[in-house]
Amino acid sequence: MTAELPAFQRYQLAFTARLRDPHKQPPLVGVPHERMAVYKEIVFNNLFESVSTCFPVAHKVLGKRKWLKLNQAFMREYSANSPLFRKIPEQFLQFLNNADPELQSMLPPYLNSLCHYEWIELFVASSPDTTKPKDVEPEGNLSNSKPVFNPTMQLLNYDYAVHKISPRNKPKQPESTQLLVFLNADDQVKFIQLNPVTYRLISLLQNESLNGKRALTLLAKELQHPQPESIIEFGLSILEDLRSQGVIIGTYD
Amino acid sequence: MAIISQIQGTGLGLKRELIPQIQSLYGQEQLTNINFVEIAPENWISAGSKAAKQLDWFVERYPVVCHGLCLSLGGLSPLNVDFLQQVKAFLHQYQIPVYTEHLSYCTDGFKGEQGYLYDLLPIPFTEEAVHYVAQRIRQTQDILGQRIGVENASFYVAAPISKMSELEFINAVISEADCLLHLDINNIYVNSVNFGFNPHAFLRGIPGERIIYSHMAGHFQQTPNLLVDTHGENVIDPVWALLEDAYQLFGTFPTLLERDNNIPPLMELMYEINKIVDYQNKAERRVIASDQLAATG
Repeated sequence: MTAELPAFQRYQLAFTARLRDPHKQPPLVGVPHERMAVYKEIVFNNLFESVSTCFPVAHKVLGKRKWLKLNQAFMREYSANSPLFRKIPEQFLQFLNNADPELQSMLPPYLNSLCHYEWIELFVASSPDTTKPKDVEPEGNLSNSKPVFNPTMQLLNYDYAVHKISPRNKPKQPESTQLLVFLNADDQVKFIQLNPVTYRLISLLQNESLNGKRALTLLAKELQHPQPESIIEFGLSILEDLRSQGVIIGTYD
Repeated sequence: MAIISQIQGTGLGLKRELIPQIQSLYGQEQLTNINFVEIAPENWISAGSKAAKQLDWFVERYPVVCHGLCLSLGGLSPLNVDFLQQVKAFLHQYQIPVYTEHLSYCTDGFKGEQGYLYDLLPIPFTEEAVHYVAQRIRQTQDILGQRIGVENASFYVAAPISKMSELEFINAVISEADCLLHLDINNIYVNSVNFGFNPHAFLRGIPGERIIYSHMAGHFQQTPNLLVDTHGENVIDPVWALLEDAYQLFGTFPTLLERDNNIPPLMELMYEINKIVDYQNKAERRVIASDQLAATG
């Protein structure tokens, strides 16, 4: 197939193949080694720095050598499809999620969750829109009306306690963890850890067209709680608290 | 809102690190010589509300130009038209009158995707490459509905298959694409050391009438005959001499200082920008003096 390409493109392909996989691809005939080394270095370092900056904890947890090898595999095997530098970490995540079993087996089982957690901050920080949707009543009644969430909110459910991972605290087993991430009015990324019940409440409100009271009634039923009123009362105070933090920005009628 | 004729004098490449300093000193005499600023669309498109607010601030106060990094004019994959449409919308949204790109490539079409490598790789200088790149520039200009400028890139490897010089390649592409030249003075110098040619002779071969604006920057000397275009150092004397020569050859043109790494306090960059102004004034005085001589002679 490459034989059909014009000579300059065949050369370009050999050039980038060598950059992607310097160990397996042959050097280019007539190109001085030390000159090619400049490209190998700048292209790889560029990618490596973008990835490492976004995933400092994953980097530390995996250790220098494994992290380097993982990034080399990213360079070698992944075809990046976004021209935006900011999207390099997201593409690294895609690479991890689609990694072949051999590579996966070398990596700790919590790595993908950890990387997702580290990336979400960057993602939320570049949310396109913090302006409020139309017709939102900021002081609306959360019980009788439908709560409206901050458009940047990400509701996350991880199999590991990703927010506690460090080189000294590598998870030995899964631990279901619920987090909420959003951009506040000052353009700061905020993380809130949720309990499973609050997580379920927010999911219900997000996915169904329910007002606060109906969602909480449903939740009480799901929990088979003997006193649904106490769940409703407590739940409404949680929703008020979320409003004061900027997670809920008001209500729709 | 800016129009192309407002891109004049001297400018500064806008790095995020510099924004607070520029904002706090805005309107003061020290910053008089920042007449326009340059951004990479790749760093500002869909960058979130904080970035959008910053950009609004600049667009209200300065003419802004866009200098792209990842369009991959010489790339192996099809031109990324979706991205180009985003650039077009971005230029329109912020009323940015100028878009330039590099004579290089950063995609290899790996696995049937774009295959971005996020760096400026050297295109071999062949006849076929001229037609290929010129066609992609034309396609870009058709989509944007405006002419673009292409920058002479720095590079470290000369393709053994090249059939023409860099200068012949640049001239052929620009003429065939009917585009503008974004002249990078430092890149001429970097390549002259890396490939052993006379940068002043090179300057005499460029299509000076097509210069839209120029870049000044510093570089890193890795070995005596290998310079790496890091934009992380101060501009060195031979590059200043080239700028002076270029002004003398073609008249003055807008010139922008790039500093992407190892960024010093803003006032150190202003020192270099003010120096560009000195060269521009000197060149203009020379023109006036020679006009007067001609008038009296």
